[in-house]
Amino acid sequence: MQAFKFSLAATAVALMLSTTAAMAQTEVRFTHSFTGGASRVALDTIIAGFEAANPDIKIKEIVFDDDQYSNQGLITQLKSNEVPDIFFEWAGLRVQRNVEAGYAYDLSEAMATDGWKESFSPSVWTDGAGTMVDGKPYMVPLSFDLTNTIWYNKTIFAEHNLTPPKTWDEFVALAKTLADAGETPIVEGNNEFWPLGNWAGHIAAMVVPPDEYVAAFKQEGPFNTSAFEKALELLVQLHDVGAFNKDMQALGADPAMATFFQEGAVMHPIGSWLVSETENLAEEGFEYSQFNTPVIDPAHPLANSVIGTITGLMVHKNSAHPDEAIKFLKYLTSQESQIAWAESGQMSPVAGVSEKAKLDEQTQAMLALMSGAPAIVPPPDTTYPVPVAEAFYQAAAYAAAGEKSAKEALVWLDETVTAMGKQ
Amino acid sequence: MAIEDRAAPISSGAGNLWFAAPAMLLFGTFVLWPLGASVYYAFTFWDGFSAPRWAGFANFARGLTDITYLMSYVHVVLYILATLVFEVSFGLVMAVLLNSDRPGFALMRGMFFSPVVLSMSAGGVLWTFVLDYRTGLLNSVLKALGLGDWAQPWMSQPETALLFICLVSGWKYAGFYMVIFFAALRRIPKNIYEAARLDGANALHQFFHVTLPMLRQNILVCVLLAVMGGFAGFDLFFTMSNGQPFGATEVPATWIIKQAFDQDQIGYGVALTVILTVVVSLISIVYIRLSERANVTRY
Repeated sequence: MQAFKFSLAATAVALMLSTTAAMAQTEVRFTHSFTGGASRVALDTIIAGFEAANPDIKIKEIVFDDDQYSNQGLITQLKSNEVPDIFFEWAGLRVQRNVEAGYAYDLSEAMATDGWKESFSPSVWTDGAGTMVDGKPYMVPLSFDLTNTIWYNKTIFAEHNLTPPKTWDEFVALAKTLADAGETPIVEGNNEFWPLGNWAGHIAAMVVPPDEYVAAFKQEGPFNTSAFEKALELLVQLHDVGAFNKDMQALGADPAMATFFQEGAVMHPIGSWLVSETENLAEEGFEYSQFNTPVIDPAHPLANSVIGTITGLMVHKNSAHPDEAIKFLKYLTSQESQIAWAESGQMSPVAGVSEKAKLDEQTQAMLALMSGAPAIVPPPDTTYPVPVAEAFYQAAAYAAAGEKSAKEALVWLDETVTAMGKQ
Repeated sequence: MAIEDRAAPISSGAGNLWFAAPAMLLFGTFVLWPLGASVYYAFTFWDGFSAPRWAGFANFARGLTDITYLMSYVHVVLYILATLVFEVSFGLVMAVLLNSDRPGFALMRGMFFSPVVLSMSAGGVLWTFVLDYRTGLLNSVLKALGLGDWAQPWMSQPETALLFICLVSGWKYAGFYMVIFFAALRRIPKNIYEAARLDGANALHQFFHVTLPMLRQNILVCVLLAVMGGFAGFDLFFTMSNGQPFGATEVPATWIIKQAFDQDQIGYGVALTVILTVVVSLISIVYIRLSERANVTRY
């Protein structure tokens, strides 16, 4: 009986202690869209390391699918009574919008301490990087994202004696060779319009005079110009040689990526995040590489550009625990954490990490591509009004699917943009 | 008992309102207030982030010239017509055919009803696998039968995508209508059929001259359910095609979601919702009036 009483008392004390510890723990709410893959594993490992080093802080992850996050998931949380302390964002217009709406915490003071700001590559703090508003940093950069590059199956290229094309004409000829051989040259999962849309945005940026391009997306000029028509004609060319998968408009972005890894198609234009999915989707021994959209007009100032952006994390202005959130972000962007992050297939924005990390072949190639590019074009939907970008994406899809000619697609686009009014 | 002997009412006149107050408060908080707020946002330019700006009737004017939005009503009407065939009519036929107490019929009714218990989203996802161009069951069967040329990207073609959504909707809901009709069939007195048979009516005559008239009320209710359900249709369209290809399967709900959330135009999305509410309300009122008139017993 005595032993029973003792164990009862011991249990009660242990329960009280654990309850007290739990009550003392600060919960930092962190919402993002890393649902799986090597990067999610790396992120979870970093979080576990942080929690072990800081037992008084618990990081609670709130995870959404990418599309759901950007469409409804984030906005609902930002406006709720229980806001996330840290949230994932794309640099550019979205950061500016969050600042204007009062959701963004000014990180100036935090960045000024411990040399945090200087620990990043200087390029993330340039005017066009989209991480700052009015000279104040609001986003903690987490990755350089190559928004679109053309991934290809090396084995199938070798079977057909093909090499990555240098010019657009070579690219079209290559697609025709593959189509004639019974292959699906390009798989695109475009039921949300952005996968092809991002690529089309880059193609247009490489063809259309920059001023004309910016004016059209800002609704200060028309899309229906000869230069934009030439850009969409390039997609029509690909359609005419049978380059795209027939189910492009019904296929989602993720199934399209799976199709590429399952050798259902030879090429797949999508962003750098493909690398972190390789482990989940590709068979052992699957060999692939990537090349940038080939040069279209060598005289164009953006002929050799790449399309990319920065993704990162913001602290909510009404965060209940901003100090703990910043503490975690400093840990996440430390050299040690970023090496693990980079080795999961991400391009780290922290200075010196790429040199120290054991990067896989794909990440190294992407880094070389981005660092060697004379210019980085941001994707339209992170830079210009979303409805305008979405309408452009749909016009591009019309052309690529052969539903409308380039001219008809642009007429439709201008009518649509006019009808929506100034955004 | 004389009138004056009755117990006095607890309260009278304005005092009665206190009893209705809790219900009114709940109704006002959870129905009227959100409704009023929605109508307000319909008159604003609002992206959900920044402060709303007054837009007057601009959103409504835009909605009434938005070709995709207007076409979404055409699609939903086609869908409703298809549901009347694939769901209501087919459910009725199945109810008549399976209206028997012989062994095995209850099991068949259960099997036919089983898709109803599945969520619409799950059903939609399931059928996208079946209809997948590259690995789907349908195309695989066609290829196995040597009909590889018939294999098509069913959900990527404007001419087939809506049809398959209608068929899947029929698969999902025909069992629901079957159960309604089956319950009604069981209430029709057998002696009416016996009298019809004595008068020389064959099975077809009995169906058209006895069964259908006796099920009139149920048919009207089922048609109303199909029409209202059609306008509210979202989940199946969202999971199977999300309006693709190129708006060929766009219905008002999917287009509204895209405008409001995908494109950050919540003010415009709300305006489209208000228009949809008005349209559905008008159709409901007209339909209910017509069905009431049709059911009045004339002396």
